[in-house]
Amino acid sequence: MNDLQYADIHRDVVRSIVETGHKYYIALATAIGVTLLCFFFPWFYQLYYGLGAAGVNHPQVWGTYLASFIFWIGLSHSGTLLSCVLHLTNSSWRKAMYRSAEAMTLFSLMVAATFVMVHLGRPWFIHWALPYPNQMEMWPNFRSPLLFDVMAIGTYLTGSSIFIYMGSIPDFAAVRDRTTGWRNHMYTLLSLGWRGTDTEWHRLRWAYTFLAVLIIPLAVSVHSIVSWDFALSIVPALHQTIFAPYFVVGAIYSGTAGIVTVMFVLRKYMDFGRYITELHFDNLGKLLLVLSLIWTYINGVELFTGWYSGASTEHEALQYKLFGYYAPLYWEMILFCAIAPLLCIFQRFRTSFVPMLILSIAVNIGMYTERFLIVGTSLSRQYLPDAWGVYVPSLVELSIILGSFALFTTLFLVFVKIFPSVSMYEVKETMDIPGTEPVATPEGSAA
Amino acid sequence: MKNFAVGLFHAPQSALAAAGTLKGAGFTKPELLSPLPIEGVEEVLGEKKSVIKHFTFFGALLGGISGFLLAAGTAVLYVHPTGGRPIITIPPFLIITYEATILFGILFTVLGFFISARLPAIRERIYVPESAVDKFVVAVACDNDEQFKRAETILLDAGAEQVRELGEEA
Repeated sequence: MNDLQYADIHRDVVRSIVETGHKYYIALATAIGVTLLCFFFPWFYQLYYGLGAAGVNHPQVWGTYLASFIFWIGLSHSGTLLSCVLHLTNSSWRKAMYRSAEAMTLFSLMVAATFVMVHLGRPWFIHWALPYPNQMEMWPNFRSPLLFDVMAIGTYLTGSSIFIYMGSIPDFAAVRDRTTGWRNHMYTLLSLGWRGTDTEWHRLRWAYTFLAVLIIPLAVSVHSIVSWDFALSIVPALHQTIFAPYFVVGAIYSGTAGIVTVMFVLRKYMDFGRYITELHFDNLGKLLLVLSLIWTYINGVELFTGWYSGASTEHEALQYKLFGYYAPLYWEMILFCAIAPLLCIFQRFRTSFVPMLILSIAVNIGMYTERFLIVGTSLSRQYLPDAWGVYVPSLVELSIILGSFALFTTLFLVFVKIFPSVSMYEVKETMDIPGTEPVATPEGSAA
Repeated sequence: MKNFAVGLFHAPQSALAAAGTLKGAGFTKPELLSPLPIEGVEEVLGEKKSVIKHFTFFGALLGGISGFLLAAGTAVLYVHPTGGRPIITIPPFLIITYEATILFGILFTVLGFFISARLPAIRERIYVPESAVDKFVVAVACDNDEQFKRAETILLDAGAEQVRELGEEA
């Protein structure tokens, strides 16, 4: 990035916001169309005809909606969490990519929250989960992990929104000065009159650091709490103490893979090749490798704990997971999440963009499968054989899963046209300070 | 109307040196406007203290207390005995307490940031759009023309590319 000037970064980022090609509109129209057709239409169909439209029934009362909920919450985990950790450890390679990673967190959380609504038979009573005085004199039960979820996800959504917004204020101000019309009004409001004074930078640095410190334990708690939705039940294969770290590692793993996918798209289609480089893919590849090893270890522990318990129900659940109806999915997950990421041992692989994209998508397919198996294989093999059953998602459910990806894409496409996708001031921090550049000698080499 | 001498610099260290000289010459609170945080500002312009940490601490404390009271209060208002266990059950309520601690900590940190950084800006203040792109700006208040001339000389001597006179509503 040595040949870059401050003004180049400014121009590139402003251009990515104000100049919109027809390809963008086609992509946005397609994403909105698929969202309406595959997400909202089937959902309204399900609301009209009842939850029977979904494949869930006894004993499988939890299906792909909850698997999707865990998946999207998991995908949200690397963005803000990784950004906070790298901010506190002063890792400069974070600076070009963290804004988009944080946006990924925000939109994944929104999609995850929507899945809670989709899973509910009567989502118009969702406010019953909130503590407010009402004529029924009814209060939510804060001993339930579902209420832990409401608190944790609400806090995480609030924290992530504030974190991405705070970090963007200086960039909103920079874009404000280069835009006109409605955009100028919008950025004037969003930048709150930021001027970039020494006092403002000082306050922002402190506030941002405090937020990072607060958000790291929050992010860890969110997926731990999601895991307790399952682990606090007495269902065989779910009632395990390893579940909280298992979910947290899985979440960071799938989130990191998600970041690789998003970085690839931004690099290729938003023309950010100068900012998102091989270094980012190399570092993300190393992270993926470490996370895949930890994830594989925890999977081994989960199997071992089940086997070592000596309980016949646990053995049955284990047997069913490895060799039962859903076994092909289990082995697909092992292939995608435990074996394929070993390719990241090779630097050549880590610095190759297309192979890394393929791996990141494979990891997330594997991670979706993991979430499906947690819900799918456990509820179908509970204590009594007459309560056993097999669950296959209905067309409505499959369509809503597809639509959720379109919903995420729609939100992200809107984001790239409002937020500067690359943090301008932080990329500037990674460059040579003006006035200290190497001076060219008469022979043309740097002195 | 208050007048300011505003110098635009290419290099942050020149701007910082100019701000230090202005401060030494008796000008009150020279202000630096920059596209990114500048290292070493506090050594030149004096240590800055922020009240944000107090907001974070007391916000988190308030959140913790409120979270526990919320969980315990709702349990008492809607009594739901389970297996002879206490109505106010500590382990699950600690989770609510933990989340509320963080939530209030975050919200109060933001509040502290806005108050201490004086944002959102209610009135017009000295601003140079180039400072958001690639210029480092030093702005200093001048009471009269003589002071402006002195400030202009200091800024130009320190390497300012140009000096402007800007006004701000008092």
